[in-house]
Amino acid sequence: MKGIVFTEFLELVEEKFGFEMVDTILSNADLPSNGVYTAVGTYSFSEMLSLLTNLNKETGVPINDLLFVYGEHFFSVVEKSYPTFLEEFTDPIEMLSSIENHIHVEVRKIYPDAELPTFTVVEKTENTLVMIYKSSRAMSSFGKGLMNKTLEHFNAKASILVENIKENGTEVKFSIEIHGRG
Amino acid sequence: MAEDKLKMYERAIAREKAARKEAERILEEKSRELYFKSKELEVSNKKLEELVEAKTSELKGVFENIVDAYVVMDIPGNVLKMNEAAEKLLGYTVDDKINLLNLVIPEEHERLAESFQQLYENGSITDFNIKISIANGAIRLVHVNASMIYDSDNRPIAAQGIVRDITELRSLELQKQSLLKKLEKSNDELQEYAHVVSHDLKSPLRSINALISWIKDDNEGKLSPDTLTNFDMIEATLEKMEQLISDVLEYSSIVGDTSSLTNVDLNIVMDDIITLLHFPEHIHCTVIKPLPKIKVDRVKIQQLFQNLISNAVNYSDKSKGLIEIDFEESDKEYTFSVKDNGIGIDKEYHQKIFQIFQSLNKREESTGIGLSIVKKIVDLYNGRIWLESTLGKGTTFFFTIEK
Repeated sequence: MKGIVFTEFLELVEEKFGFEMVDTILSNADLPSNGVYTAVGTYSFSEMLSLLTNLNKETGVPINDLLFVYGEHFFSVVEKSYPTFLEEFTDPIEMLSSIENHIHVEVRKIYPDAELPTFTVVEKTENTLVMIYKSSRAMSSFGKGLMNKTLEHFNAKASILVENIKENGTEVKFSIEIHGRG
Repeated sequence: MAEDKLKMYERAIAREKAARKEAERILEEKSRELYFKSKELEVSNKKLEELVEAKTSELKGVFENIVDAYVVMDIPGNVLKMNEAAEKLLGYTVDDKINLLNLVIPEEHERLAESFQQLYENGSITDFNIKISIANGAIRLVHVNASMIYDSDNRPIAAQGIVRDITELRSLELQKQSLLKKLEKSNDELQEYAHVVSHDLKSPLRSINALISWIKDDNEGKLSPDTLTNFDMIEATLEKMEQLISDVLEYSSIVGDTSSLTNVDLNIVMDDIITLLHFPEHIHCTVIKPLPKIKVDRVKIQQLFQNLISNAVNYSDKSKGLIEIDFEESDKEYTFSVKDNGIGIDKEYHQKIFQIFQSLNKREESTGIGLSIVKKIVDLYNGRIWLESTLGKGTTFFFTIEK
């Protein structure tokens, strides 16, 4: 997993829960990296899992909620580092439906070793989009956070319905509906 | 508590330090990678530059040396580029800023629009002929092959064409056509003439024949045996004369006509000939193997075989005469042969016998036209005819017919 996912996560933990919390979850986890992360490195996904589990233990906030907030936060990273991805689009449905065939293709050009989930478009109209998320990481809530901010970015009032196709969250159906555009 | 906090900060600093070092290491590695990559790129860039240069000069050479006129124009038809041949043909240079619409004469503009549409849609047009008006005001007919030029996004940006002046060629073609028509007419007239002449020549012959038989009847018993022999000779000569006229007519009527070509089964033709010719008892005619079907005129091919076979019959001098018909087949043609065991032909006459009125033997029924008819028919089918012969032993005629 890309280092930026770790560094941004720890930034967010510090911002929301304080510096001590960062130290606690790092110290309580058995991490091959010893909790030393740099945005340009690559680390095992199991480390992220330990950090999330520890944070959940310390704060009592469910992991999916943590991931959702983190997803929302991560959108600002995209906004800051890769604004061109967003500028290419004028419509959130267009952007979200192109994750698999456009955005992920570009991401792989920058990070050839990135392990990305798949988003298969099942249904698409002007104001609705149904996609199937598939990933062994079961991080669909992170995706939901990103989508939420994406819709906000385009000033769209929308609802996102998330239904687990597989109970363990490795296959999830996203149904997005736009009610109004600002 | 304060100590705990201090420890915590120490840990954080240690982590930050380690992270910084790790990042530095990674970045160092990346920048080394980048350095080697850029070196590699430099090399391949240089290679590409060389390649582009080579191709450019190659293209320039082609452009300059192309014999035909070469013109490049943009989509609205403005001429962007011309080679020397094009400047010579049109009388303009690129600096004259000519447009296709000014070049093509107004009467042709509709056809021009159609062809341009086709070029745009299909990417190319071939063998398009159009009239243009060149710098000195002359109208030229040109032949054009053109294709679109696309940019890297496959958008058409220009059109290129090879232009050839076919004004003279076309007028020569028209001349040829009119000559052919004239030739056809005079051929027809000639044939008609041959018919009339042969008819007009034959009727006095018939009158002489009738007059002689009347003289013979009127003077029955009064004429000496010598006179009677002379009368018989006159009659034989008249008969030969009539045969000669018929043969000349036949010869002149052999003309190529593709409309009468059919698939002819030569076995049937041969049966007809054998029935028609009434072979004497002592002559045997054999067809060695079944003959093929060929695309020819039924009447002419029969005439060909019939003349060769009847020659073989006429010039047989053996107590047992043999005639053999055979053929061989290659990819392109059939080679037929007619073999006899007759008197044979001396080598010095092997060419001469195919010329008209050349008979080697002063036989009564020989007019010397039969083999010239044979040759004319073989010529008609782009074939060859020749013979092998031994005096006193026999002759084999060979001829080819294209498949």
